[in-house]
Amino acid sequence: MSFSTFTTPTGFLLPSIHSAPPFFTQQPHPATNATVTEQWSTLILTYARHRKLFVLRVEDAETVDNEWQEVLRNERINRKLLPSYLSSIIATMVVKNLAIYDPPGQTRSALLYWRLPEEWAEVLHGWAISTGQLNTILTFYEIADPPIPSPLSNIPMSLLRKAIAVLSKTGRAQLIAVADGEGVRLFQGTGK
Amino acid sequence: MHKRGGVGLAAFDRQEQSKRSFAELSTELSQSQVDHLHAQLNQFQTALAHFATNYRDSIRKDPAFRHAFQQMCSTIGVDPLAGPRKGGWWAEMLGLGDWQYELGVQIVDICVSTRARNGGLIEMEELLRLLTKLRGVNGGEITEEDIVRSIKTLQPLGVGYQVVTLGDGSKMVRSVVKELDEDQAVVLAIAQQEGGRIVEAILVRRKGWTRGRARAALENMLLQDGLCWLDEQDEECGRSYWVTSAVKWDG
Repeated sequence: MSFSTFTTPTGFLLPSIHSAPPFFTQQPHPATNATVTEQWSTLILTYARHRKLFVLRVEDAETVDNEWQEVLRNERINRKLLPSYLSSIIATMVVKNLAIYDPPGQTRSALLYWRLPEEWAEVLHGWAISTGQLNTILTFYEIADPPIPSPLSNIPMSLLRKAIAVLSKTGRAQLIAVADGEGVRLFQGTGK
Repeated sequence: MHKRGGVGLAAFDRQEQSKRSFAELSTELSQSQVDHLHAQLNQFQTALAHFATNYRDSIRKDPAFRHAFQQMCSTIGVDPLAGPRKGGWWAEMLGLGDWQYELGVQIVDICVSTRARNGGLIEMEELLRLLTKLRGVNGGEITEEDIVRSIKTLQPLGVGYQVVTLGDGSKMVRSVVKELDEDQAVVLAIAQQEGGRIVEAILVRRKGWTRGRARAALENMLLQDGLCWLDEQDEECGRSYWVTSAVKWDG
């Protein structure tokens, strides 16, 4: 039998391993399991980046017709990722700092780090410079939902807060309380 | 009784004399023999150097020529791979040693990099395909025989590389130190024919095994050796095993 790659309706190229039936079962052999789980986390992060998805929930493997179904299911071979396995994949990703449980204190929903908070910090800073918004006060809402779509569109508040925290450490951002929530002022910074 | 050399005291002298002459003659003869051998060896070496410079490329590029050359070497009892310490000029001039070791390194490279997905067991055909891809068009064609020979040169390293022949004659290269028992070899051979998927029922039907024997063989391969992957969503049997080394991965 030969397994091939497949392009999904949203234009994502699934690797050939995604058409292998045993890919959807959690492997009992530890070394095999590590390999397969590694393939899953790579696939999940690549797909998240492709669709700009920030959150993955265990229930995404339980329901149909959600934004993850192209990856978590393979109708062509009638296989789907079981919630118990997805839960274990997410746990591995959290350990490797490829994701973080969000909100903290539960294990059903995770924020995916296809960019690390440090990388998001640079994206935010670069965006503020290129749109001429240094030194002005921006609300979180203005950043996550700008009139012109940006790389930061739809960024979850918790991730944005982490990115701002990174910039604050290098003196490039300052958190400010504004009337309807939180705001931030970004600075040029020290030539870094 | 007539004695050679006559009788009397003078006969002793004559006898000594002829002994000396014979000894001289024998030294002379063996000297000329050694000289002759040296000349022959020189001639052979020159001819070999000539051969090496003329056919070096053919030996590296053309598998049929290489095969013929290696057969010739084994007929006359010469090891073309002998290292620098024993008859190094042979290997040096042909560059065959380096060629063979390079192939060995490439085999190790592929075996190690595919181990995660095949559990350390790769089909000969697949290995040949990946090797050809890795070496590129300038690497020249290689054959199964070259692989077998290279794996033999890896043996002193004691890393357990071995060519395993399955029941149906197909070959696999094993890169993990692990004994395949007979049942596992049967499972591998059948998995190859089935395209990778195997279930207890296939073994029961085709080999007349009991369910227990089939299950034990499959579970061992799954849990102890990591030679196959489990599929718990199999439509037909609910639980099937996939021998990943028998699967072709495109891309």
